[in-house]
Amino acid sequence: MMKPNELAEFFHESLCIFDLKANDKHGVLTEMVSCIGENLHFKDKDLLLDMLVNRESLGSTAIGKGVAFPHGRSLAIQELTVLFARSAEGVDFNALDSKPTHLFFLIIAPPQDKENLYLQVLGHLVELIKSAALRKKLMEVTTFSELQDALASA
Amino acid sequence: MSSTEEQVKLLVALQDLDLMIKEANDAETSSEMKQMGFKLDGIAELSKARKLLAERVRPQLLNRYERLSKSYGRAVVPVTGNLCLGCFVTLPTSYPSLKSKDSFLTCQNCGRILYFP
Repeated sequence: MMKPNELAEFFHESLCIFDLKANDKHGVLTEMVSCIGENLHFKDKDLLLDMLVNRESLGSTAIGKGVAFPHGRSLAIQELTVLFARSAEGVDFNALDSKPTHLFFLIIAPPQDKENLYLQVLGHLVELIKSAALRKKLMEVTTFSELQDALASA
Repeated sequence: MSSTEEQVKLLVALQDLDLMIKEANDAETSSEMKQMGFKLDGIAELSKARKLLAERVRPQLLNRYERLSKSYGRAVVPVTGNLCLGCFVTLPTSYPSLKSKDSFLTCQNCGRILYFP
């Protein structure tokens, strides 16, 4: 089982969006992929977006309680990448409980992620986010270091 | 018809989609996902998207992709630091410059289609 401080290491300051501008599902995915494209070196952002849109058609990744975990694998990315994003107003992400989604954890991995680290990170985050206290903290953090502290202390 | 580079990108998208369908159909992975709270009831939607995407790939290239997928699991592999990530053979440094708009590159050792991320 991954420790909270190990999990926090997968997050990066440049891959945090504390105030998403988009107000619909496709817009949120596009904004997150653009952030990754601007901060990591890869050329085919549209491949990531296609993969994430397809993943949403398999079933919404918004599991309720205001949280979504858009995720998947793509050859376009070379290492496990995690992005945190937040929308104060909330977005209709076809959540299972039909409520607006505020917190987003985007997790993408290359297909050659043999240890299935991506599923471990996803599973661990899903487990942590069941805590109402953590969700409340994540709605309030304003800096990367506060985000890391919130995750590490969960 | 799109350029060869675009065709290889379509193959990458197709392979991403094939992997998603495979994982959604895999009992162990789908069970793990469902336990986490994710619904995976749109496999038919993915199959439709797959069909539409495959129709955009040149038939000859698509045949090659299907054949390589059958043999290796993954037909398209990335190149990192001149290394084919399919068979881990080092490719000649001149390889990327051999790419032209009319031809795609394959690994000289394993024959997989190469993608330069």
